Order: sequence, then structure tokens, then C-alpha cells
Amino acid sequence: MIRELALLDVYYLVLAVRWTIALTLLALAGGSLIGLLVAAGGASHHLLPRLLARGYVGLVQGIPLLAWLFIFYFGLSIVGYDLPPLIAATVGFSVYAGAFLGEIWRGALIAIPRTQWEAGTAIGLTYIEQLRHVIIPQAVRIAIPPTVGFLVQLIKNTSLAAVIGFVELTREGQMTTAATFQPFAVYLLVAALYFSLCYPLTRYSRVLEGRRRGVR
Amino acid sequence: MAFVELKSVRKSYGSNTVLQDVDLNIEKGEIVAIIGRSGSGKSTLLRCINGLEPVQGGEVWVDGVAVHDPRANLRELRARVGIVFQSFNLFPHLTVERNITLGPTIVKGIGAAQAAVLAREALRKVGLEEKIKAYADELSGGQQQRVAIARSLAMAPSIMLFDEITSALDPELVGEVLLVLEAMAREGMTMLLVTHEMNFARRVAHRVVFMNQGKVWEQGPAKEFFAAPKTEELKGFLSAVLH
Repeated sequence: MIRELALLDVYYLVLAVRWTIALTLLALAGGSLIGLLVAAGGASHHLLPRLLARGYVGLVQGIPLLAWLFIFYFGLSIVGYDLPPLIAATVGFSVYAGAFLGEIWRGALIAIPRTQWEAGTAIGLTYIEQLRHVIIPQAVRIAIPPTVGFLVQLIKNTSLAAVIGFVELTREGQMTTAATFQPFAVYLLVAALYFSLCYPLTRYSRVLEGRRRGVR
Repeated sequence: MAFVELKSVRKSYGSNTVLQDVDLNIEKGEIVAIIGRSGSGKSTLLRCINGLEPVQGGEVWVDGVAVHDPRANLRELRARVGIVFQSFNLFPHLTVERNITLGPTIVKGIGAAQAAVLAREALRKVGLEEKIKAYADELSGGQQQRVAIARSLAMAPSIMLFDEITSALDPELVGEVLLVLEAMAREGMTMLLVTHEMNFARRVAHRVVFMNQGKVWEQGPAKEFFAAPKTEELKGFLSAVLH
């Protein structure tokens, strides 16, 4: 039965933003864990970790995000693992974010000149101490702007979770549209809500770009 | 045993031999300059002394430590062997003070307050006390190199290695760095310098070593070395660099 678009619908849409944020944060957490491994492997001096990292990134980036979501949601349920949408989406987005964050962070690590390692070695720092005091602080400064930039991508891409039935902002918009048959108004509102999340982050990322002390 | 002793040192990268059969002794308090064409192995020689480059053969002894031994405690050694690079290699994300205190606090376990005193002292020796809170990108090349020297000095090394430390500097900035070296020489620091500054080598070094084709080709007391070179190769090199 079709009804009018009510204030309550708007309220529900705004509430659905929570799930978009929740999924983004879960994916960011999972993706960070994977991304650290990928970055460490990719920047390693040993061949095997480098190959593994490169293989992972190639595999993940070569397959659409939507396909990953289907694999974890529908695929695993066929072989007997019935994952709830939130879990399937979290895993799928983590796999995806891990590859991209890993590449961003690997790039930041290898952007630090070899001479910085050497200067650390020369004053007697161990490998771990060099990473902690010399390399990572500089790499983080390089990595933050593109990481925030990727976070914006991630927020927008969580809308794909709608297709596996996870009720975040986009899915809520679909359901509201089905009930009210007001797609233009509803999706305009959905778009505005995404924009209000993403635009400040984009601006922030720009600010960070301009504030990169000590990185040549 | 000499303070630094190299015995038949061999170093190669794959099939490319960079050092062969290098013998060199350096006594405590001695100032030795190494000269030679680029690619003659002089920088590599320096880097073998503090274990930045492993050697493929021979022995490297520094203050009783067998640097050639893979089990050598290089961390402990590097606290006693300072090295300054051509490209300064300051840590750009840290202040001058933190650049200097990083080694003493982490490697030697010295407290922050004590390390700050060391930093100020080291900066005073290179004449840059007022730059203690500055970052590397706020300093000229000459100033950065002096901070790099202070960073090494703060570890209280018993020998300092200098790898062409004025080569990346604009000509007008070379003098201030050489002045710092001369002051260290007067204080009796044991120094080994790879350099292209022939006048400086003649004036300050006790002994000059000419490297050629990965070997110690000729060496001698600074005055005689420049006045009466023995080998054709050194004569050729000197006439090329001194015109």
C-alpha cells in the first residue's frame, strides 16, 4: 500500500546513517588489519611476503567489490556458512579495504628514502626502533591524506551492501521508496546524507595535504 | 693492535669486486684522509668499518670488536663509531634536538634531561645552539651537516667516519663544515675522512690514503704524499684534481 512520505520516514533514513557508519568503521578496522599485513609484506626485503602481498592486491583489485559481497553472502551460504548480512558485508568490505589500504601504506613506507634507514642504523637503532622512531612517523604523514580519501570511497561503497539485504542508508532508501513511491525525494535525501558524511572528510583530507611537515 | 685494523678485506656485490686485499691501520687520535676517484671503493671502505656493509673476506677490527664476525654486537659498536654522510640524512620529522637525543636515549638508555644537556653541548661544538628547536628543512645545507655531526658527537664516539660530507654543499657552505672538523681534530678525535678537499686533507690529516681499483694504492704522511707521489696513478689523480 502506498502512503505519503512522512517526517517519520526522514527520521528513519537519518537513523540508517548509523549503520552506514558502523559498516564503514568495521570495514576500516578489518581492512586496517589486513592492510598492515599487506603493506609490511609488500615493503619487505624478502621475496615470498612481497609475492603474497602483490598476489592478494592483484586478486582483490581485479574482482568487483559487488562480486566479493556475493561470494561472502551467497557463496558461503551454499557451502553451509550462513552469514548474517552484517558479517558478510564486514568481511567483504574488509577484504576490499585491506588491498587498497595496504597499497597506500606500502607506498608510504617505500617513499621513505633508504638513507633514513641508514641514518638510524648508523646511530645504533635496531630494525624495530628504526621503524618506530624514524620510518613510521614519516610514512604516516604521507599516508594520512590518501587514507582519508579512501575512507570517503569506503563510505560511499558501503551502499553496495544494500544488495545483500544489509539495512544501511541506501537499503533504507529503497524500502522507503517502495512504501511511498517517491524515489526522487527519497534518493535526494539519501544523497544529501552521504554528502554530509563525505564532504567534511574530503575537506579534512585537503587540509592534511597542506600540513605535511618534514616530508619532502 | 691498532685502534682500527683492516686485514685483507674483500667486498663485492655479486661478481663486482669493490674492495680487494685492503690492509689499513688507524691509531687512536690519528686523522686519516682517503682520496681517490669515484668508484675506487673509498666510501665502501668507510661503511665496512661500522658494519653498514658486510665484508666477504678478511677481518675488520675496531677497538677490539670483530666487525666482520656476523655475531658482532654492531649496535654497541655503532654507539662508539660515528658516521656522517654526504647527504646529511637528518630525520626531517624531528627537531634538531630530538635528532640528536634519539641515539643517546634509545641506544644508550640515557634519561631525557641528561640527553638534552648532551644535545646542547654537541650543538655548541658545531656552533648551532640557537637552532635546537628547528627542523631540518629550516636549515641551510651547511647547518644540516653540522647538526648531523652533532648527532654523531652526542653518542660520544671514539672514532668519527666522514663520507664526503662537503660534496653535497654549495661552495660557500663548505668552509663552516670544515671549521667544525678542524676543531674536532684539535680536540684529538680519531677521524677517517673520505674527501675531495685536497687542501683540507693536506692541512689537517696526519696521513693520506689513495684508493684505486678497490685497493689501497699508496699512502703516506700528508706532506710527502702530496709533495712526492710515488705511483703513476696517484700522480695522474693529483694532477687532475689540483690542475
